[in-house]
Amino acid sequence: MKQSLSSRVSLIYALSVRNLWRQRRRNTILLVSVICAITGVVVLNSLIRGMQLQMVDQVVYNLNGHITLHAPDYRSDPAITRGFLEDFEEFTRKLDSENLAGWATRIKIPAVVMSERETRGVQIVGLDPAQEDISVVADLPIEGSFLANSADNRIVLGRALLTQLRTKIGHRIVVVMQDINSKSKEVGFQIAGVYDSDSEGMEKHVIFAGKGALQQFLDSKSITELSIRFNTRLIPPDGLESISQSFPNLETVDWKNIDPILAFMYESVNAMVYIWLAIVFTALVFGLMNTFITAVLERTQEIGLCKSMGMKSSLVLYQVVTESLIVMFLGLIGGLLLSWGVLQLLGDGIDLSAFAAGVEMLNLAPKIRPAVVWQDVSIVVIATVFLALVASLYPAIRAVRLDPLIALRD
Amino acid sequence: MATEILTLNNVTRIYGKEATQVNALTDVSLSITKGEFVSIVGPSGCGKSTLLNIMGALDQPTSGEVHFDGNSLDEMSRGELTDLRLQKFGFVFQAFNLLPVLTAAENVQFILQLLGFARYERQSRTREILDALGLVDVADRPATELSGGQQQRIAIARALVGEPALLFADEPSANLDSTATRELCELLQQINTDRGITVVTATHDPLVMGYTNRSIHLEDGRVVEDKSNP
Ligand SMILES: Nc1ncnc2c1ncn2[C@@H]1O[C@H](COP(=O)(O)OP(=O)(O)O)[C@@H](O)[C@H]1O
Ligand SMILES: [Mg+2]
Repeated sequence: MKQSLSSRVSLIYALSVRNLWRQRRRNTILLVSVICAITGVVVLNSLIRGMQLQMVDQVVYNLNGHITLHAPDYRSDPAITRGFLEDFEEFTRKLDSENLAGWATRIKIPAVVMSERETRGVQIVGLDPAQEDISVVADLPIEGSFLANSADNRIVLGRALLTQLRTKIGHRIVVVMQDINSKSKEVGFQIAGVYDSDSEGMEKHVIFAGKGALQQFLDSKSITELSIRFNTRLIPPDGLESISQSFPNLETVDWKNIDPILAFMYESVNAMVYIWLAIVFTALVFGLMNTFITAVLERTQEIGLCKSMGMKSSLVLYQVVTESLIVMFLGLIGGLLLSWGVLQLLGDGIDLSAFAAGVEMLNLAPKIRPAVVWQDVSIVVIATVFLALVASLYPAIRAVRLDPLIALRD
Repeated sequence: MATEILTLNNVTRIYGKEATQVNALTDVSLSITKGEFVSIVGPSGCGKSTLLNIMGALDQPTSGEVHFDGNSLDEMSRGELTDLRLQKFGFVFQAFNLLPVLTAAENVQFILQLLGFARYERQSRTREILDALGLVDVADRPATELSGGQQQRIAIARALVGEPALLFADEPSANLDSTATRELCELLQQINTDRGITVVTATHDPLVMGYTNRSIHLEDGRVVEDKSNP
């Protein structure tokens, strides 16, 4: 006969909804501010996350990969003498179980290039074009032609370096490197093509040669790095450990080690996301609390009446909390829908090329594409519910403490 | 022997402290018997509301004891007093009685919801009581659109719907004209005789007093007369 819980729940719900509706103008303003706050947090966080991931993409994409493996002493003195042997089958077997976009082996050593007129210090990168679909190399705009294969004995320069050397496609240049015996070796290369890059630094300092051809010139079968790119934008949780266990004799370097400044920025962005969330929600909590205190004060008599007739303190408390939860729940739904709409509009990214100079300095892509990180969104959802409880608790306790006699006195 | 439902022993209620203190009730001893229709009368400020609130477990005496059905209210927790009010008492207040966001019928159902009755039971009991009090016509009207007399009758319906042992009414006719007052008193009388519910009402209106079968006269917080009306 008695269905105590459901009958009380329906009472609380009816009272909450109607009391909210009674002050619809005030509560609509409150709802709109909740929607705006949630949308602001979700959209801005998505932009910040997009920017953050693009920063990582850039490093990973730029001939680094997520993880690069070297001989242990290579990084202190990059030379072919500090390389290691490439065992294609072993690498394939070890990397097979990882979720990779691909891997590439390279030689990266310092060199000096000379034209008839100029001399410049550069980094020569010996690569196999067939493996480079995981790096920026595959997408560089090329004038002339790129290396046909690993054995191609020509060379590709950046546009800025070509200008500095005052030479042309098809001409020859001389490259001086240290060979496997630490002897200087001069090799003449024909310029196959010129690439353009967003980064002038790269155009000036990075030149490409065939890996096999370079090994022949240097009298060595070594490579200096194995570069790995995962199928995900970030390294999967145990990816680094798994790779370093597979290659115990090599040094494992992830993108954070390769670019410590960027890694620091990346971590700072994490903190920024949460600080920003905390600021917005703290501001919101006071707005909410104020509204619900007002709501309790203007209903003093009604609350007193309910209590005098025998409404339990817990129900008085739930009633105020329920009002807050309803507003926050609607605000959450509205905010997430609006965020979705705004992100849909921003899907192509926001063009920052007007600020290109600053953007390049910060190593950012000229267009920011928002990235929705579900963990951030779920934190917003949890924070909203938490906020609804926190903001209504004090007003609810005030309602509970009302003396029904004083409340009823006219 | 008639059953005593509510007993007060040497009840004193003092408001405030030291210099500003007010003795609202002084040494009141009385008992209410099951089935009585009692009026508490006296001029404004004599302590009628204070007495009613103490009887109704809404307020606690500064000294003295109150027993309901043989149990001391003094020994009950806040929660137990709340339950007692919900389950055993019905209240009709002077002016502010109905929740403005609910309809007339919903205000009546309110008590049944607090008591935890199922939906069907709530609705049939509410219909029944509104029917008995001739209030079916206004059942679905918002509380704010009812006349003063209708509001007080709905308040009585609400006080009755939970089938309380005792109904307290604090100057229920204060805002009503004499016709409406008569109708209200007839209703209280009918409840008392037909349903056997004990009714205690505070009033300073001789018209109301005339309907009751016992009147307790207060003056400056003391009982000065307690007599049966023939
Ligand atoms: N909460 C209170 N604080 C201080 N004095 C009060 C309070 N309630 C009532 N009083 C005083 O107690 C006396 C009795 O009041 P009350 O019981 O309301 O009288 P009545 O209902 O007969 O008009 C009055 O002098 C009144 O001013
Ligand atoms: Mg009074």
